[in-house]
Amino acid sequence: MSETNSTADSRDVVLRSSIDRSLRHPVMFFFTSGGVWLALAIVLGLVASAKKHSPEFLTCFSWLDAGKVDAAHMSAMIYGWGLQAAFGIIIWLMARLSRKECTAAGVILWAGHTWNAAVFYGVVRIMMGEGSGVTYMEFPSEVWPVLMLCYSAITIWSLIQFQVRDAGHVYVSQWYLLAGLLWFPWIAVTAWVFVFLMDGHPLMVTGVAAWFKGTLFSLFLLPVALASSYYLAPKVTGRPVYSYNIALFGFWSLAVFGPWAGMQKLVGAPVPQFLPYAGAASMILILIPAIAVGYNIIRTVIGNSEVVAESPSLRFTAAGMVLFIVFGVLSVLLHTVPAMKLTQFSYTGYGFDILGLYGVFSLCAFGAVYFIVPRITRREWLSRRFIKWHFNCSLYGVSSIVLCAVIGGVTHGQGIEDLSQPFGTMAERASQFGWGVTLAWTFLLIANLFFCLHLLLMWARLGRRSSHPTLLKANHPENPHGPEGEVDTYSSASA
Amino acid sequence: MTFKAFIIGLLGTFGIPWLLLVVIPYSTMRSLEPVEYGQNSKLAGAFVPKRDGRIKEGSKIFGQEGCALCHTQVIRPTYAGNDVHRGEWAGLRKSSSVDEDTRRETIVQDYQQEDVAHIGQTRVGPDLSNFGRRVEHYLKVNKSTRTPEQWALMHLYNPKGVPRYEVPETDEQIVTAWKSACPPKSGLFDKVEVHGAGYGTLPVDIEEGMGIKPTDRARALASYLVSLKKDIFGNPLPEALNYNPKAPQPEE
Repeated sequence: MSETNSTADSRDVVLRSSIDRSLRHPVMFFFTSGGVWLALAIVLGLVASAKKHSPEFLTCFSWLDAGKVDAAHMSAMIYGWGLQAAFGIIIWLMARLSRKECTAAGVILWAGHTWNAAVFYGVVRIMMGEGSGVTYMEFPSEVWPVLMLCYSAITIWSLIQFQVRDAGHVYVSQWYLLAGLLWFPWIAVTAWVFVFLMDGHPLMVTGVAAWFKGTLFSLFLLPVALASSYYLAPKVTGRPVYSYNIALFGFWSLAVFGPWAGMQKLVGAPVPQFLPYAGAASMILILIPAIAVGYNIIRTVIGNSEVVAESPSLRFTAAGMVLFIVFGVLSVLLHTVPAMKLTQFSYTGYGFDILGLYGVFSLCAFGAVYFIVPRITRREWLSRRFIKWHFNCSLYGVSSIVLCAVIGGVTHGQGIEDLSQPFGTMAERASQFGWGVTLAWTFLLIANLFFCLHLLLMWARLGRRSSHPTLLKANHPENPHGPEGEVDTYSSASA
Repeated sequence: MTFKAFIIGLLGTFGIPWLLLVVIPYSTMRSLEPVEYGQNSKLAGAFVPKRDGRIKEGSKIFGQEGCALCHTQVIRPTYAGNDVHRGEWAGLRKSSSVDEDTRRETIVQDYQQEDVAHIGQTRVGPDLSNFGRRVEHYLKVNKSTRTPEQWALMHLYNPKGVPRYEVPETDEQIVTAWKSACPPKSGLFDKVEVHGAGYGTLPVDIEEGMGIKPTDRARALASYLVSLKKDIFGNPLPEALNYNPKAPQPEE
């Protein structure tokens, strides 16, 4: 399994290198454009957060109104960064695990460009005040079919690769990828049809959009992050996954509980009562897959603490898994019936969403990016320091956002419930925590400027030409600008 | 685990929640039975709340402008929150200027004829379920000559400005005098040259010869906002839908 194993079959090396070559343009495209979108999403998040405590901030630009900029921020984060990073991981990981070259890089690349154009169009329309007006599905209705077509053109090849793979063992990561690939279109088409095409009751339109948001995370972004973790943890440490049975249990528990998530936003609204409570129950039960998967991955890497400290991929992945367990525990605390009174309409939900999107998904995705990019560009990362800054600022920023938003949100919620106090006092008190969130976003901005710059330099093929990976150790025993490595000989062998 | 078992497993684990959470409730709620007024009611026939086209347009603009980020539109039953008792969110309390207590939870008909129900994401600002009636009451108590639409437009133009929502304490109300944290929606207004009395412009002081004119979007949004009332058209709800709690009095 281990790639660094010197006894690896040379045919294997050639195959891996030709898979990497066949995918280098689309994967790099998804990662770099995703990175740029993430930086943009964070700038928008900074503005949105600042407006919550300082409403006068930037009021001269009506396209930066609080509600619109917040919708643009989340959309850019999910569709610009999240899904694109997921696409990069999916197409690379599925090709590697199915051991098939990609024969449709051109189509994927075109679909990727169209995807970016559609997301850009959607974000601009939102900021012009011409979005759909549906919370959690703010892109105008015409954007969704374009996104769906692009999605099909990007991922269908991964399904084909899986179908035509050489018979044999199907790895854990492939379960997650395959399931995510099938769940996403089902969810997205359902949501688009029920929200935009059919003329349903307004409450159910809201409910379906909330379900879309919940399941998009639990059944697409999360599975991709877990697939990447299940691939990287054994790959980098050179040890098999700790327990196959726990992996199986973790997967099926997510498959069983995940689809119910989302409608907890509608507690108390006049919809059939079991809908929001099924959503809340599913969010509580998500602790089970969180513990199963987190424990499994952490047990796989534990004992190799040096590798975790050295390898950027593993450090991000391990941090993502720890935060996944935190996500599960917090989910239980925030979705019980008494807690829902306080958290349903407070800042808490935002902090929780960011914990999922950034703390769990993005950290795992960063881990994958740090692993995949050197292999497809055949260059090593330029700067150990950039990666360290990225990691430290990310972890600090995301923890601060979650702490401020959750504590501030609970205070906020308590204030609204406390009838002896006027509403305004509580809203003002909660806004103090908003300052903390804004400050934390600046840390994430710094983190991602390092990440984005680093990635763009790699994209411009300015990475180190070395066979020695960039590790996070203080003293690198080798010359960082080492000689031409064997990575180059792969390509001559394949030619 | 075989591939076939895997796919059947996925179909089952996803298909059941898909049917139970999405497809069946969606279909059921598309065709709700109209509710008849009870025998004790002065009104007869079915309860059919209606809103005109401009209000529907305003509802869409409410979503597009992102108002639902900070404003909710749902009065939760008491098991899920204290909304019914918070200020005048759920309706007006009985007082010297109000004949009848109209507070109630949100019902399914409250969102009639909107494209989407703006449940809202957070309560950075107050709930708007009863916004229209609250403003009417405020204007009446303060003996203002403005229409609720005008007040709403002024509020949208400059929430921190003069027309702050304050109800005199003598009126047994929870006083909601606080500085609005709502950002101004200046993008919904045009600065125009005015001649004479400046018909159709807002009563705000800006430079000489200029006025602030609400756009069509602003007017539609204001119409929608003032249509948000817990006692729709001043009519009582059918008994089956009404929930009128015995509220605790606010602490002195």
